[in-house]
Amino acid sequence: MPQLGFEDIQKEGISLKDDNLVSTGVIMTVGIVGEVKGNVVYCLSLEDAKAIASTMMMGMPVEEFDEMAQSAVSELANMLTANAATFFSEMGITVDISTPTLIYGSNVSIKMSANQVLCVKVSANGIPFETNIAING
Amino acid sequence: MEGTKVVIVDDSPFSIAYIRGILERHGLNVVGEAGTLEAVKEVIKDKMPQLVTMDMTLPGTDGLECTRAVHEINKDIKVIVVSSMMDDEIVKAAKDNKVSAYVQKPIDEDNLMAAISRVMDSDELYQELSDKNIAIFKESLLDGINKMAKSLITYQDEYTCQREFESKGLTIIIGIIGKFSGRMLIDLSMKTAHEITAAIMRKETNTNDEVIAVIGELANIISGNACSVINRMNKAFGLRVAPPTIMHGESVCITSPGFYTTSVIGESEFGEILLNVGFQRGDDHWM
Repeated sequence: MPQLGFEDIQKEGISLKDDNLVSTGVIMTVGIVGEVKGNVVYCLSLEDAKAIASTMMMGMPVEEFDEMAQSAVSELANMLTANAATFFSEMGITVDISTPTLIYGSNVSIKMSANQVLCVKVSANGIPFETNIAING
Repeated sequence: MEGTKVVIVDDSPFSIAYIRGILERHGLNVVGEAGTLEAVKEVIKDKMPQLVTMDMTLPGTDGLECTRAVHEINKDIKVIVVSSMMDDEIVKAAKDNKVSAYVQKPIDEDNLMAAISRVMDSDELYQELSDKNIAIFKESLLDGINKMAKSLITYQDEYTCQREFESKGLTIIIGIIGKFSGRMLIDLSMKTAHEITAAIMRKETNTNDEVIAVIGELANIISGNACSVINRMNKAFGLRVAPPTIMHGESVCITSPGFYTTSVIGESEFGEILLNVGFQRGDDHWM
């Protein structure tokens, strides 16, 4: 993430959840196929999504979560997942990722396709977001 | 792809004759061959092919060094490795050296031609996929509802979807990956989802969890069937589907993914089902 303007990346915590998540705000899902299959779902609040989009656009103010802001955070989801795919391939596990789909709303229940979901809470320049990883062997 | 100028790099006369036979049967134009680094440089400069098939083990050199030599002469020439050696390490080294595809010997004619098509026919393949995908997914949804819920769908007109739209209640997203990546999205009201589930499971009341499981699997089957049809149309697409992600909530908005997708509303006895499909032109995927 440092290339995108985020200097301070902190891992805030890791937990295991069941496959039902509930989130309010912005949700991006990226599909994974290859030697492992699954999905990665990124969750963050609307305000934090705007702050991330603003950082990615060199600090340009982002008032509305418009197409430009949506495109910026989608690109973030895409790049983070693509980087993870590269790490997998360095471990000898070939995976490909799909394009991200971005939705937003309130109290959204998300059903992922694995019995357990690994949830990694990250903060980037103090902006929190959740990375939920559901992988089937 | 027909008429593509190809140079074959291999140190085995048998392999060269075998590869030449396959390529010429498919209308490609084999303009030269080489078995050493010096010969590679000479024939590439002389013939300027669009494509090179590259053996990995060569006397005094290897396929990677020769690939670098090809790209020093012209970086736009596509190189496909055709070698009996294939393991993770060598494939990674090939990728790092800008090889476009990797085919293992003994050569399967279909595999080699699919790899060449994938590398050389990007524009045509994308056009073919854009032209045909929505019709194939519609057919697949129709077939799924017909066989599983014993009911029919009538489709409204298709439209290109460039703006965000509000979910009717339940959204199923399936990522698709292959030559091109994209997604299939199905959106319907909770009421419609309950009625479809009731018809499929042949019982009136189902919990939300059951409905989500049934609709998720239905979407999985529809996308899998549609992608199989597309892959049969042309093996070069090599589409595979990720597991479904299923969402429902209050005032959920589905945003436009930044590339064209096509939507169509299917009317069924259970209510409206929205189908949205699209693929990104994007970078070529290594396969």
